[in-house]
Amino acid sequence: MAMKTYAQAVNDALREEMRQDKNIVLFGEDVAKHGGIFQATKGLQEEFGGDRVKDAPIAETAIVGAAIGAAATGLRPVAEIMYGDFLLVAYHEIYHMMAKWRFMHGEEFKIPMVIRSAQGSSFGAACEHSNCVEPLFIHSPGLTIISPSNVYDVKGLLKSAIRSNNPVLFLEHKQLYKSKMEIPDEEYTLPIGVADVKRQGSDCTVVAIGLMVGRSLEAAEILAKEGIELEVIDPRTIAPMDYQAIYDSVAKTHRLVVAEESNLTGGLGAEISARVMENAFFELDAPVGRVAALDVPIPYNVELEIQVVPSVEKIVAAVKTACNK
Amino acid sequence: MMNYEPALLKKLYRNYLALREAEKVMVDIYYTGKVPGHIHSGEGEEATLAAVLELMRQGDYFSGHHRVLASTYLTGVPFREIFAEIMGKRTGTARGVSGCNHTCDLRKGGLGTSSSLGSDTGIAVGAALTCKLRGDKSLAIKEYGDATSSRGPVHEGMVLAASWQLPVFFVSTYNTFGISGDSRELLPTAHPTADRAKGYGMPSEVAQGNDILEIYEKASKLMDYIRETGKPAVLETVNYRWRGHFEGDQCAYRDEAEAEAARKNDGLAKFEKELLAKKVMTKKEIEAMKKEIADELDDAVKFGEESPAPTMEDVRVMMLAEEN
Repeated sequence: MAMKTYAQAVNDALREEMRQDKNIVLFGEDVAKHGGIFQATKGLQEEFGGDRVKDAPIAETAIVGAAIGAAATGLRPVAEIMYGDFLLVAYHEIYHMMAKWRFMHGEEFKIPMVIRSAQGSSFGAACEHSNCVEPLFIHSPGLTIISPSNVYDVKGLLKSAIRSNNPVLFLEHKQLYKSKMEIPDEEYTLPIGVADVKRQGSDCTVVAIGLMVGRSLEAAEILAKEGIELEVIDPRTIAPMDYQAIYDSVAKTHRLVVAEESNLTGGLGAEISARVMENAFFELDAPVGRVAALDVPIPYNVELEIQVVPSVEKIVAAVKTACNK
Repeated sequence: MMNYEPALLKKLYRNYLALREAEKVMVDIYYTGKVPGHIHSGEGEEATLAAVLELMRQGDYFSGHHRVLASTYLTGVPFREIFAEIMGKRTGTARGVSGCNHTCDLRKGGLGTSSSLGSDTGIAVGAALTCKLRGDKSLAIKEYGDATSSRGPVHEGMVLAASWQLPVFFVSTYNTFGISGDSRELLPTAHPTADRAKGYGMPSEVAQGNDILEIYEKASKLMDYIRETGKPAVLETVNYRWRGHFEGDQCAYRDEAEAEAARKNDGLAKFEKELLAKKVMTKKEIEAMKKEIADELDDAVKFGEESPAPTMEDVRVMMLAEEN
C-alpha cells in the first residue's frame, strides 16, 4: 500500500496505461509542459515524448473533435478539458459527436476515448468555473459518465475508462485532487457501471455523487450517534447508472435521499427518484429526499458559495426528514 | 490537357460523371417519395471532389459535407450502400439509422460528417494525428462549404492542425450560398477560407469550381506539399449553387438569371466537349460510360427499394462497440 493523492492516482493510472499501450495519446490545454493545472499529468511528456503528450491551443471544440478522429482511426486518446464548465464550449462535439459518431456512421467505428475534466465548487471559482455537469450529459445516449469520489476509485476507474472501447466522460472533482488515501501498489481496475456501497446501513440509503460521497459519510457518523444507520451508495458510474444497486438498497432501508452537487432542477436526484418510484415504489416508507445545489448561479463570495452547495448538515437534515425524525 | 495521361483524363471524367448522375438520381428519388428526409443537391459542384478524391491514397482519410453525398463512391463505397442509407434501409452504410450525411465507410478512409456542419473539422485533425504517428505520409481531407467556414469549430480545427503541424487538407467548396445567405454579402472576404489561410500559416490556392483539371493540378500540388512536410494546406474552389438549399426551396432570395448562367457554365459539359475535341474519348466510349453508370445507379435504387428497414435491434447494435 502507498499513500497517494487523487491527482497522483490520476497520474499513476495514465502512466501505467500509457506504458502498456502505445496507442494512448494525451492532449489538452496545459497538460504537457505544465503537467496540468492540478498537476495530474505532471511528468508524462518527459516520459512519453511530445508526440504522445501534447499541449493544445485554447480550442476545446477542436480538442474534442481531434480525440474523436484519433479514436476512430486507431489511437486511444485521453483529452483533458480543464474545467467541467468548459465542456459546454464543446457541448455539441461531446453530446452528439463523441457519443453518437459510431451510431451515425456504422459499426466499423469504435470511439475508445476519454475526456478528463475537473468539476465542482472550489471556493471562489465563481459561476463559470464551479459547476457539476453530469445532468447536462446523461441526456445523451451513448455516453459513459464516471464521477470518482476518492483516490482508490479514481485510479481504478480511469484505467477502465481508458481500456473501454467506447467514449467516456471522466469527471474528477477539484476539491478532491489533494485528498489522500492508501491504495494498493499492485495494479487494479474497477468495473464501469457498477455502484459501490461505501457504508452499510439499515435505516436510510443515501445515493451520493462525487464530493457528496465524503459528505454523506460524515453525515453518517453524525446520524449514527443519533441511532440512524445510513447506507451510502456511490454509483461511481453516472451513465449507465447501476439502478439495481439502488433498488436493492432501498429494499433494505425503505428510505432514500439523493445527494448531488448539480442543481436541483433536472438533476440526478430527479432521475433517480423517478426510477425508484417506477421500480421500487412499494419499498418506500417515505418520499425520496433530494439534496442538491440551490437553483442559483454559484456565487463568487465564498460564504454564499458554501450556502449554495450541499453541506453535511443539509444531508443530515434530509435523512432525518426521510426517517421522520 | 495534353500533359495528362488519357487514362487519368478518362478517370477524372468518370468520377465527375458518376457524381453528377448520382446527384440527379438523388433528386429523382426524393420527388418520387423514396427519401424519408431532406436532401441537399450538389449538382454543379462535383468537380472538386471528383478531382481531390482521385488523389486520395490508401491510408488517407476523408470527411465531406452535405452536398455531393455520393462522393464516398469515389473512396470505394458502392452506390448500393450509399443509396440504401439515403433511403433509410438496413443495407445502408449506417444501417439506415443515420441518413444522407453518413454514407461513408471507415475501412475505405471515410471519417463521416456532422450534420452540424464544420463541427467535424476536429475529426479530420485527429485522424491526421494518427497519420502523423504512423509516419506513412498519409493525410486527412476535410471538405466543407463557404458558409460553414464561418463556424468556430472550423477555425479551431485549422488552428489545431497548424499548431500541431498535422497533414490536413482543408478543401472549401465555395458555392456562394448558405441557405439563403449570399456569401458575397455576408462573408468578410472574397475567399473566406483561402484568404484566412495566411493567418493559420498555411499555403492556399483558389481554383474555379467547375474546372476539374485546374482543381486537380492545384490539389495535387498542395497534397504533395502536405505529404512532404506533414503540414496542413488549403484549397478553395469557387462555384455557384445550381439548385436550392434543399429540394423544394424556391430560391426567392436570389436572381434566377444568375443561377441559370451558372448552370449553363457547366464544367462537366465543357470537359466532355474538350475530351471529344482532343480525341481522348470517342462519343461511343462516353455513351458506354454513361450507360454503365446509369445501370449502376438503377441497380442501387432497386437494391435500396428491396432492402429491409432497420429495426430497434439495429439502433441498439449501432450505439456502443463491444468491450474486450
